[in-house]
Amino acid sequence: MKYPQALQELIDEFSFIDDKMEILEYVYELSEEVVEFPIANWSEKTRIIGCQSEAHLEVVVKDGIVELRCGADSKIVQGMMGLVTIAINGRTAEDVLQLKPDFAQEMGILNSLSPSRSNGFRNLFDKVMLEIRIKQ
Amino acid sequence: MSLKDDFPILSREVNGHPLVYLDNAATTQKPQVVIDAMSQYYSNSNANVHRAVHTLAGEATEGYEDCRRWIKSWFNAEKAILTGGTTEAINLVAHGWGRANLQAGDAIVLTEMEHHSDIVPWQILSEERGIEIRYVPVLDDFTLDMEAYIASLENAKLVCVVHTSNVLGVRNPVDELISLAHKAGAKILIDAAQAVPHDRIDFEQFNADFMAFSAHKMCGPTGIGALLVKNDAFEQMQPFMGGGDMIESVTTSGSTYQKNEHKFEAGTPKIAEAVGWSAAFDWMSKIDLPAHHERLLNIAKWTAEQLRGLGFTVYGRHQSGDGAVVSFLHPTIHSEDFARFLDAKGFAVRTGHHCAQPLLNRLGITGTIRASFYLYNTQDEAEKFIQIVQYIVEKFA
Ligand SMILES: Cc1ncc(COP(=O)(O)O)c(C=O)c1O
Repeated sequence: MKYPQALQELIDEFSFIDDKMEILEYVYELSEEVVEFPIANWSEKTRIIGCQSEAHLEVVVKDGIVELRCGADSKIVQGMMGLVTIAINGRTAEDVLQLKPDFAQEMGILNSLSPSRSNGFRNLFDKVMLEIRIKQ
Repeated sequence: MSLKDDFPILSREVNGHPLVYLDNAATTQKPQVVIDAMSQYYSNSNANVHRAVHTLAGEATEGYEDCRRWIKSWFNAEKAILTGGTTEAINLVAHGWGRANLQAGDAIVLTEMEHHSDIVPWQILSEERGIEIRYVPVLDDFTLDMEAYIASLENAKLVCVVHTSNVLGVRNPVDELISLAHKAGAKILIDAAQAVPHDRIDFEQFNADFMAFSAHKMCGPTGIGALLVKNDAFEQMQPFMGGGDMIESVTTSGSTYQKNEHKFEAGTPKIAEAVGWSAAFDWMSKIDLPAHHERLLNIAKWTAEQLRGLGFTVYGRHQSGDGAVVSFLHPTIHSEDFARFLDAKGFAVRTGHHCAQPLLNRLGITGTIRASFYLYNTQDEAEKFIQIVQYIVEKFA
């Protein structure tokens, strides 16, 4: 599948790293990429189920353009959210809905994270897609 | 030769680094002899037990009953019921003894330190029967409030208490808890899941009425454990699972039950697991457990001191007799991020609530990072562990 440019660049960069610590450090840095979702707005409805840490998100679709706002108490989880942010923010809902979660695997991130965290990524991704479909 | 060489898994690498396994309170690794015994059983002797006269059935029955003999002699116990583990053993007391002996209005005593497997079965029974549950608080020094314990014993029928906490490593004053319970006329169940890996308890002398534990925390296979029961408590138990193997005779108008432990082991039991557990006992019988326990507790204590020095909060006290468990938290780095970074360097630790949410609520936290040490761990590994922890703190705090 052809990915949007920003995401493709990230995938390429990750493909050069094979040390797991470095992969995690990189994901950790991606936590800076999220659009802030203030803790005051966190609720049961915004919560990502299946994450062991507290992770919350909200999706806004304005004039057909997607904006993900999110945050987590684990920086690595928030880094995954940063990754999804790069993959979808500023793009049309129609485009974003074409996206499959496989890119995380391609980046070696799913392999590098435990099954429960991989589930967490899957739940994060699915929740984002669901919210977009509802709000489209 | 080091002990490590007996454990094939310990020579593997994780993420390009030698595995350092520090999640022993969750489950321990298995020596080659245990793996071989189970494989040998399936290759050579597999059959159902207690049911047929052919040679294989005889070997399988011997293999299974041999495990019971190991347990009875290891712990000096009169009755050993084989279960699926600690959880099933406690559920067996709740349903097998509790249902037959507890009525609406009766009280049982638990503590805030219990594992979920020593809370939830009682909550289920409590809802079904209208039984009162009293929880003994944990004090700021991580010990049980003994005054509250004594007060809670009034008219209590049963006490259920963890011997050694899987979160704190704190060993409760079990001898005192047992004699106080008996003095108050209550029976007492000890959750010894974290005790038996380090301490060869003499059940007769110990004098508890029930004791529950799992094989997998003492080098044995998963899926098997035991409930030790005093004879008089055993006589008060009713079967909770019905089926084959536990009966004397069955007619359409009713059944009569076996008199011995088989009464509580309905269905085809865990035969290969029993064979594996016997091999684990045999392997452990050649180890100086008390000497290792002292060595591991010292490693845990050293690790705890280093962590405090690095700004961590450590939940535990590491006094003589305590488990070799270190639960800790960093003020800013999330425990899961920590565990992930450690995993990237080959270190296996546990994070989360460790199935003891009431205890964590009491401590005002939602989880900890837990490093737990066992026979094959070394001071050298603890030092490497602290080096990585220090690296993570310097980089991310
Ligand atoms: C103190 C304690 N009790 C009970 C259990 C439950 O043991 P199992 O899961 O083997 O039934 C554990 C294991 O995690 C434990 O540490």
